[in-house]
Amino acid sequence: MVSVEREIELRLVRRVKAGDVAAFEAVYEAYRPRLYSFLVRLSRRGDVAEDLLEETWLRLVDRAATLAEDTCLAAWLFTVARNLFTSWCRHRAVDAQRLSELVPSWPSPRPGETPFEAAARSETERRLETALARVQLRDREVLLLVAVEGLLPHEAAAVLGLSPEALRKRLQRARERLVVEMDVHEPERASPLRAKAG
Amino acid sequence: MPNQDPWTTLDAALGALRAHDADVDTVDRIRERCLAQLAAARRRQERRRSRLAAHRRWLEPAFALGLAALYLAAIVPRALALLR
Repeated sequence: MVSVEREIELRLVRRVKAGDVAAFEAVYEAYRPRLYSFLVRLSRRGDVAEDLLEETWLRLVDRAATLAEDTCLAAWLFTVARNLFTSWCRHRAVDAQRLSELVPSWPSPRPGETPFEAAARSETERRLETALARVQLRDREVLLLVAVEGLLPHEAAAVLGLSPEALRKRLQRARERLVVEMDVHEPERASPLRAKAG
Repeated sequence: MPNQDPWTTLDAALGALRAHDADVDTVDRIRERCLAQLAAARRRQERRRSRLAAHRRWLEPAFALGLAALYLAAIVPRALALLR
């Protein structure tokens, strides 16, 4: 049985394939911030993220007519974005680990949040962003796809070219390393996010 | 819940991270480039369609005439043979 959301997505795919401008706009609005967030956290550089974002969307438009009817837009777009980033690293012979660190801007309070809640959330965000920026690229990408962007496991596995089982293991290791990274650099704030299971 | 996934808290914190977005100028520039490319693709498709329609305008009558000629070539000698 096809869910309602999936049905809407399939309809959008059909319209994008037909060159429908409104459908493209809808996809662009829905996925642009997610793709940019993914790219900026992956590359840790705003200028690179913008270039790759542009290339990703141009590729969608270029290949719209040849999309399969059952294309999963999130998986397709994130796969293209990730492949473009990989090519960029290879082309520039960039060691992804040596890219300059992303300095996340200070988050603004959300509506209805007390200053204390906002400060606590900001602190957690800062620590998570810093730890994410420090873990290896292969750990970072799986965390970004599954935990941050909320892709379903089979979608993330497709983006990374892994089997579901390999994805599960990589995600497990990535979470462990992220928590270690958070604790190593700020041991005085032993992570409340640490896994409780052995 | 004792059997809750031990990573639920971490995943929730990661999922709550702010979404970033490119600056407005970049967002608009990308949109315009994509829309221009979409429009160009549509124009190409329309040109292809109209070329095909133009071909059909003379191909279909020619094909029908050819078939009619074949039919006549087969039927006329028979009719003449019957009349003789």
